[in-house]
Parts: sequence; structure tokens; C-alpha cells
Amino acid sequence: MQKHKFSILLLWIIFSFLKVNAQEEFRKTAPTAGPAPKIEIGNYTLSKLSNGLQIIVVENHKLPRVSFQLFVDVPLHLENDKAGVASIAGSLLSAGTKSKTKAQIDESVDFIGASLNTSGNGITASSLSKHTDVVLDLMSDILFNANFPKEEFDKLVKQTLSGLASQKDDPGAISSEISGRLRYGNKHPYGETTTEKSIQNITITDCIKYKDDFFKPGNSYLIVVGDITNEEAISKAEKFFGAWKKGSVKKQKFPDPLPPAGNQVFVYDKNDAVQTVLSLTYPLNLEPGATDITAVSVMNQIFGGGSSSRLFKNIREDKGYTYGAYSSVSPNEHIGYFTAGANVRNVVTDSALTEFLAEMKAIREVNVTSEELNAAKAELSGRFGRSLEQPATIASFALNIVRYKLPADYYNTYLQRLSAVDANAVKAMALKYIHPDKVYISAVGKGSEISAKLARFDTENKVRLVDNYGNQLIPKLKMETTSEVKMEPSAIIEKYLKAIGGKEILSSVKDVTIEMSATIQGMQLSMKNVQKDNLKLISSVSMNNMTLSEQIFDGIKGKITAMGQPEKLVEGEEASELMDEASIFPELFYQEKGVKLELAANEAVNGVDCYKVLITDAKGKVKSDFFAVDSGLKMRTTVIEKSGEQEVTLVREFGDYKPVSNILFPHKLIIKGAMPVPLDAIVKSINVNSQVSDDLFKIGK
Amino acid sequence: MEKVLSALLLLITTGVFGQTQIKFDRFTLDNGLKVILHEDHTTPNVVISVLYHVGSKNEKPDRTGFAHFFEHLMFEGSENIARGEYDKYVSRAGGALNAYTSQDRTYYYEFLPSNYLELGLWLESERMKHASVDSKGIETQRAVVKEERKQRMDNQPYGTLMEQVFVRLFNNHPYKWMPIGSMEHLDAASDEDYKQFYKDFYLPDNAVLTIAGDIDRNAARQLVEKYFATIPKSTKPIYRPTIKEEPLNGPKRDTVYDRVQLPALIIGHRTPAQGSTDYYAMEMLNTLLSNGNSSRIYRSLVDEKQLAIQAGSFQFPLEDPGLGISYGIANMGVELTDIEKAIIEQIEKVQNEPISDMELKKLQNQIENQFVSQLSSVEGIAENLAVYETHFGDASLINTEINRYLSVTKEDIQRVANLYFNEKNRLVLFWLPKAK
Repeated sequence: MQKHKFSILLLWIIFSFLKVNAQEEFRKTAPTAGPAPKIEIGNYTLSKLSNGLQIIVVENHKLPRVSFQLFVDVPLHLENDKAGVASIAGSLLSAGTKSKTKAQIDESVDFIGASLNTSGNGITASSLSKHTDVVLDLMSDILFNANFPKEEFDKLVKQTLSGLASQKDDPGAISSEISGRLRYGNKHPYGETTTEKSIQNITITDCIKYKDDFFKPGNSYLIVVGDITNEEAISKAEKFFGAWKKGSVKKQKFPDPLPPAGNQVFVYDKNDAVQTVLSLTYPLNLEPGATDITAVSVMNQIFGGGSSSRLFKNIREDKGYTYGAYSSVSPNEHIGYFTAGANVRNVVTDSALTEFLAEMKAIREVNVTSEELNAAKAELSGRFGRSLEQPATIASFALNIVRYKLPADYYNTYLQRLSAVDANAVKAMALKYIHPDKVYISAVGKGSEISAKLARFDTENKVRLVDNYGNQLIPKLKMETTSEVKMEPSAIIEKYLKAIGGKEILSSVKDVTIEMSATIQGMQLSMKNVQKDNLKLISSVSMNNMTLSEQIFDGIKGKITAMGQPEKLVEGEEASELMDEASIFPELFYQEKGVKLELAANEAVNGVDCYKVLITDAKGKVKSDFFAVDSGLKMRTTVIEKSGEQEVTLVREFGDYKPVSNILFPHKLIIKGAMPVPLDAIVKSINVNSQVSDDLFKIGK
Repeated sequence: MEKVLSALLLLITTGVFGQTQIKFDRFTLDNGLKVILHEDHTTPNVVISVLYHVGSKNEKPDRTGFAHFFEHLMFEGSENIARGEYDKYVSRAGGALNAYTSQDRTYYYEFLPSNYLELGLWLESERMKHASVDSKGIETQRAVVKEERKQRMDNQPYGTLMEQVFVRLFNNHPYKWMPIGSMEHLDAASDEDYKQFYKDFYLPDNAVLTIAGDIDRNAARQLVEKYFATIPKSTKPIYRPTIKEEPLNGPKRDTVYDRVQLPALIIGHRTPAQGSTDYYAMEMLNTLLSNGNSSRIYRSLVDEKQLAIQAGSFQFPLEDPGLGISYGIANMGVELTDIEKAIIEQIEKVQNEPISDMELKKLQNQIENQFVSQLSSVEGIAENLAVYETHFGDASLINTEINRYLSVTKEDIQRVANLYFNEKNRLVLFWLPKAK
């Protein structure tokens, strides 16, 4: 009995062991796939009304719903100082017609559970198919009878302004704004940015004009998808849009934006950011339907197209720097672009950038493996196959074929083209489209933690601070050129002193009074600077005759007052900084004060070739001055100031040199770095040797 | 008369809807794994999904974020799948994959060409049977999840809104923490803690496997048996919290400072569990308040009074009683107290006056449209089937749940407005810009 029991137990053990073993066997390798299914692309029908409106219909009766898109192919154009007009005009379309208020339109749409949206590119709507006529009636009423009510316009402007304000918190939005501006510059429509100011410039008349100029049947398409027959769709199109009058639309050409000549690093300092939004981008020429497109998409898929790509595997899965790292190469009929990026933690911003650039080099230099190639092609064909489930995909294929004049079988032959892409083609595409040495690099993050470490990635070894609209980060249309002319730094200083008047005249100056004005956010600032005997100083900033801040130095001690803060008396070490500023032409005293000079590589300042001189004073404080190679004049001063824990790079730029009492003084001053926006100051008056009284510098108490 | 009318409306609506019945097979393996098969040959693709009935609600208070962490770990591999290979199998096949975690569930899926059905089943069964839970994977995913938290919440304006509301409306229930959990807990957890969590929850009798798309149901069923039948079931009851919250005794008021330019007013209320009668009435109420430009809160706050650039009201669909949020993001220069007043005014209006027949019909039409739309992809159908089966106990609600909405009356809407949008049940949160 015992034995019997035991053998049953043993058998059971052997049996379950075999079972486990057998299981292990088939589990050990991935199952093989059956024969590949055939991918079929659904049909579409294309027709045209007599007014030129083209109609694309994709029938699909699986669900009782239908969607309509009236797509207006607005030509490329500049909005200039009214950037944002397309968006305001587009939203305003559904804000009232001759017979319906906005509230009535909203009510009609919601009552049938439909959705309807208008934009600068037309009108889209969708609903259950039983409500087709109601939806089309609304669309046609909007197209023909939109009446742009003033009240709704004011509302939209206000909402847009609030929306712009809220964008300033969103690091992703800031980053894409900056990237766009860098890629296209401000001369190309794609580079235009909507700002508070440009929104305020827009009028209702501009909105009406926008619609009148661009909304014509000849450059528009009605795209119908869903539970409707082609015949029905055409007859309804005729009924609701047949009365749309023909008209011509002006087309303009714009020069293609170019990539930078070398890598440039831009930083938007968001000092409360806990992560850096890192973005690498540049424009490139790649039109829809171009021969390269399929091979480029395979190359990008391997490089950074998804979670199996090199960027993702390296930067997320291997390094753990980010939640996701991706890239894309986007074709466009006018100008396409490359972009790659990730949100990374502050401390690894530079390490992540190193990886991005290394991967860009690698994809150019090393052939992709056949495993990578096959996986990328499989992913792309799979994505293509899945996208066909949605009838809207077929409609978008049809639209592309018509808009970009592609062969009628362009999408039917896509999989053949894809399967023909080989490793050589991928490499050729990488060499043609991936340029690790011509990239606009932007980082939206905590400047104090990331800036210093990013400078080395810039060809000029610096970071370029920008604001959230990229106003002063407009890339120069032509690259600034610098020469390799060399000169002894002391001779550069001599040349400068000579250029502005000569040592003799300069030494005879006892006092100088300069008054300047500047505008900041619509407010007028006045600035006054008085220096006497290279020893005494008054420097004040006021607004509407109210003093905002003032520094006085009487030669021994100083006083600093700033609005809202207790006045502060300074002596000794701290006061010596004020004394330095009291120096009228400090260059006169470099030798006697033991100032060290060192020449750095030449740099251009606003297009002017300059010598860059590093100037270290006796206390070890360093500034960089830039002197024009030709004229000898000082063009810029850069100094790093500590403000609490943060380092701020203060930049002053000088221009518009004009003589006063036989001395050349700059009459234009731009201060950058002190505030989020650069401060442009204009000289109102300069007085030399006006016998300024010593009483002025008296410090009370 | 009114009853007859609404019955008539109901007929018309369900009549149309009846054309789009979703057909499916449903069976349970001996180890408790529920399986749903839905055949649809529109395109030659197939969705394979596994819904594990584990979310942040099943976590211990000192080990939060585990369910979501596993969403990451489960891509790390298994006994037979090397690290970094899991998604490569899918991409090589031309498929896509993803996953998400909520308070109540974790959902994984592969979307593959239909000739790779068996591959998808192998992958899912591998991670159900013996996923790799090792220190290398844990270490990497800790870093990744921290970046996910920053990207989605900390570095995002209003990104911690949900967290701030839930933590104030729940004192005991695990809904008081978010699925992403606490980074400190993730750091403090040992490899052993993670392994135990896997053993406790990633079990066939705690999951629903759904296959939807271009399949032969008999062949699919055989493959399911092959890959899943031998995975052992649970050996002890699966932990499901039964914690009940004490009444809130509101109104509670608080302020949060965030990196935002525009202040926001957030009103939170505790709301009923999904699937309950009141839940559907609340859904209709929120539709009335905030679905579409003619909805009451949107029209009043955004359009007419221009107090807000965005305003709305919604509830979280949760297995246990949850919460709803009504909010307004201030237009420039608007005081939050004015937004609060305007939202409360709309709430009180529903509490005091029944809505009109036209409005009820509008809500029903909107719901009908949403129901049809959610059936537009096999991905959506697969997920809905799994969710209905897990949280409602019946996948066939994919075809019939709409009737629960359509049977909500005007009186129901008024009643739930009074019952849940009630001061005692309320949190008011001022969301203000942090001084720079």
C-alpha cells in the first residue's frame, strides 16, 4: 500500500517535471509568425464642383457617423507685426453669422451631440450620420455668413492674451517656440511668433480680410469620411457649397532658411525648472513625395523613431536620464526640419547632449545592422498597416496625392519602396540629413545649473540667452565673420584711446554728465551718470521723476538706495567697486593700476569684427571688452556678476559713436542679462567739464 | 406624457445604436484567467491585451507607486526574454506596444499584424509567468520614473493638480496617493519588496486577457490554452482594500502655490463609484455643466462673464467612491473668488431648478455620439471589453451601458446635484502663482 502510494507520487513528480520541461522547451524561443497577411488600402473618390472646390470621399459604413473637413490650403505668407491673425480670424468664424449668435451656433452643435471647429485653415465637423444635413447647414452658414462680431473679437483677443501668458509656464511650449524661431529665423512665415504685442495689433478688418483673401473654392477641399455614399456627398456638397464664388489667391515665395554654420547653444533660463527641455534642430529640404522620403523614415526610425530606437535605448534605457528621447525628420512642401530632444534632469543636461551628438555622428559613420534595418522596416510597415483601420487615413492619402501631385498609386506602392531600402541607403540618408555640427541646440531649464556646462557645445564656446519668444535669438542671416588679425592687447587699448580722442584730451576731462532714456514694457526710464575727478560718482535710475535707485560715492564712502529697501552705506572694500566706476576713462589707468590684459580669439559683435581682450583687475575680477578691428572703438563689455547664488552674465553693447567736446561717446547702449528683455538706452545729453559741484556728491548724515 | 416621450426617445436612440453591436466570446481558464475574444477583419491586425486588476489602490501606504513601477519593470524581460528585448520582439514584428496604470488597474497591450498573434500571447504569458524582477532593471527604471514624474507633474503647470486634490479629499483610502507614488518609497523599497508585489498581483486569476481583431476564434482559443493554462493561480486571497472614508465635514479650503502665470480655482467633491446608479446621473450632470460650448459652466464662465480661459467639470471613473473636479483657470486679472462664485452659482442652479426636456435630449445625444465614437478602433474595443469585464463584471456592457445613461431622469440629475455637490462634501482649492 505504502509502496503503491509512493510510486503514484513519484509518477506524479516525474510527470509534472516532464510537463514543466516540455513547457520550458516551447517557451524558450519566440514563436514564428504565419504567412504575412495582405494589406489592402481602402478606396476614395475624387471629384470637383464647377467653382473649383475639390471633393474627396471615403465611404465607410461600419459606424453610423460621418465627418466633414472643409480644408482651405492657405498659401505661405507673412503676418508681420500682426502675427496670430490667422488663428483669431479662424476662431472668429464660428462666433456668429448673419442669422445666428455664437450661443445659437454652440447650442445647435451640442444639441445633436456633434463637434464643430473653425480655424485659419477652414471648418471641421463630425456627427452621427443621421444629423448630416444639420451639420452641413451650419458649416455653409459659417462659410457664407460669418459676421465677425466685435464683442466676440474682443473676447478672443483677451483669451489669446491669457493663453500666451499661461504658455510662459510651460517649458515644452517655450522650447517649441524657441526651436521654431531658430529653425526658420524671423524672415520666414514659419518663424513668426505670436506675441502680446502682435495680438494687440490685430483688428476685425484684418480678420475679414484674411478670410476674403484666402477662403476660395479653388484652393479648398471638402473631405468627407464615413457613413455616406459618394453620390450623396457630391450632391450635398453642391447644395451647401456650390454657391461659393471663385476667386484667385496670391502665392508668394520665401527664401529657404539655412542651418547654422556651426553648432549654437541657446538657453532659456527658467529658474524654477526641475528638468531641462533639450532640443536639437535645424531646417532641411525634404518635400512630400521626394525620392529620399522612405529611406529617411527608415533612418530616423533606427535613430530615434520609437522605443526600440538608439536614442531611447541609450538615453533612457541605458542611462536613465529621461522618460523618453526621440527624433523626427519632417518633410514639408516649403521647408522641412530635423528635431531631436528629451526632457532630462538638470545635472545630466550636458551628458545627455553629448549622447545626442554622439548618436548623430554614429548613425553617419557606422552602417546600421541588418537587425536594426529589418526591425525599422517592420515597424514602419506595421504602422502603415494599422493606420489603415481609420478611414480618415485614406482621406489624408488622397489629399496628399492631390495637393502634392503625387502619383495616384503612391501609397499603394509604399510597402514596395519600403522593402527596397537597404543599409547603404540608410547611411546615405544619414550623411545627407543628419548634421551633428550644424545644429541649433536649445535648453529650457535652470540656467544657473546648466549654462556653464553647455558653452563647450557652441562653436563660439558660449551660451546665448534668449527669452520665451526668441526675440533676440534671431539667427543672423549670414554668419558673423571674424578675422585672425592679431595685435598686442596693450596696443589695442592704445588704439581705442586714440580713436575716441587721444590721451591728452581724455586726461583733461574733469567731469562728465550723461543722461539717457530707455523704454521698458511701455514705461519710460531715465538714467543719469555723473563722474568727477575719476573719484566721485552718482548713478541713478528714475521713472516719472521718482527715483528707483541711486548710487553715490564721495571718494571715500558711498551710499546705495533702491526703492523699497533701506538705504545702505558702504565703506572700504565694497566702496572700492564704486570708486572703480567713478573712473571716467578707466583705460587710461590700466598700467598704473596693474591691470592684466590678455587677447582672446577674435569675435564679431553685431557683424563687426572685434578683438576680444580679457581684462583682469588687481582684485582678480575679469571682464571681456570687444574692440572693433577697423575703427578701434569699444563695441561690447561682458562681465559675470554674482547675484546671490546665481551667476548673471551682464552684457553692454555700445553704438552710435558721436563727438562731444572732441571726444567720441557712444550714444546708444544696450544692456542685456540684467532683465529678461534687453534694455535699449539712448543718450539724451552729454556734458563734459561743466564744473559739477562737489556738493552733489555729499552723503547726508 | 413625459414618461412616454422619454421612452420613445430611448427607443429611437437604442434603435440606431443597435446596428453596432460588438460581438465577443468569453471564457475562463482553470487557473482563473478570464479571456475575451472579439473578431473584426477590417484590417489584418490584432490587439492582445492583459488587464491586471491591480492599481495604486492595492499598494501599502509606505510602498506607493509600485503598480506603476511594474508597468515599467514588465518591459524588462522574463526568464526567456533578455533585458531590452521585449519591445524589440514587437517592433521586429511591425507591432506597437504600450501600457498604463491607474488607481484601479494596469493595462498592457500589443498591437500586431495578425500573423503574429502567437508572438503576442507568448510575450504576455512570459511576463505573467516569470517576469524578470532584477536589480539592474529596478535601478534603471527608478531613474526613468523620477524623470517621468518631473516631466508629467513637477515641471508642468498645474501638473500636480490631481495629486493635491486627492490628498485633501481622502484621509484613509489609498486614493489619497497617485499612481506615480512617492519617489522616496521607490528608493526605500528593496528588490525583495518588488518581487513580492509581483507574486501578489500578477496572477491569472487577477487578470483579463483580451484578443481583438483579425483572428480565428477557435485557433486563438487553443493558443491561449497553450500559453496561459499552466500558469499557476493565486495561493492566497488577493488584497483589495475595503477602506471607507468618514464623511468629509467640509467645506475644506486651502491654497497651493505653483509655477503658473494664471491662477486657477479648483472645487473638489467626493463622488459615487463607477457603475452605480448615481454615477450615471453624475456623468449626465457633468455633461450638462461642461460638455461643449453650450454647456453651462463653459458658457457662463468662459463665454459670457469671461472670467476663465478654461473651465469645466468632470469626475474620475473609479471602482470605489472617488471624486470630481470643477475648475476655472482665470482670465488675466480675474479674482478667484469671482470664479468660485460663478461655479457655485451654476451648481446651485441645477440643485434648485430641474433641467429642461431639450437639455436632457441634448445630453442624451451627446452621450450617444460618445458611445459610437469609442467603438471606432479595435484598440478601443479591446480596452473597453477588458474594463467592463474587470470593473463591472460584465463585458457585454460595451453594448448596453448606454441604456444606463439614457434612463437617467431630470429628477435624478437634480437629486445627485444636491447629494454630491454639497458643501459638506466639498474642497475649495486656490491655485496661485508662486512668487519668483
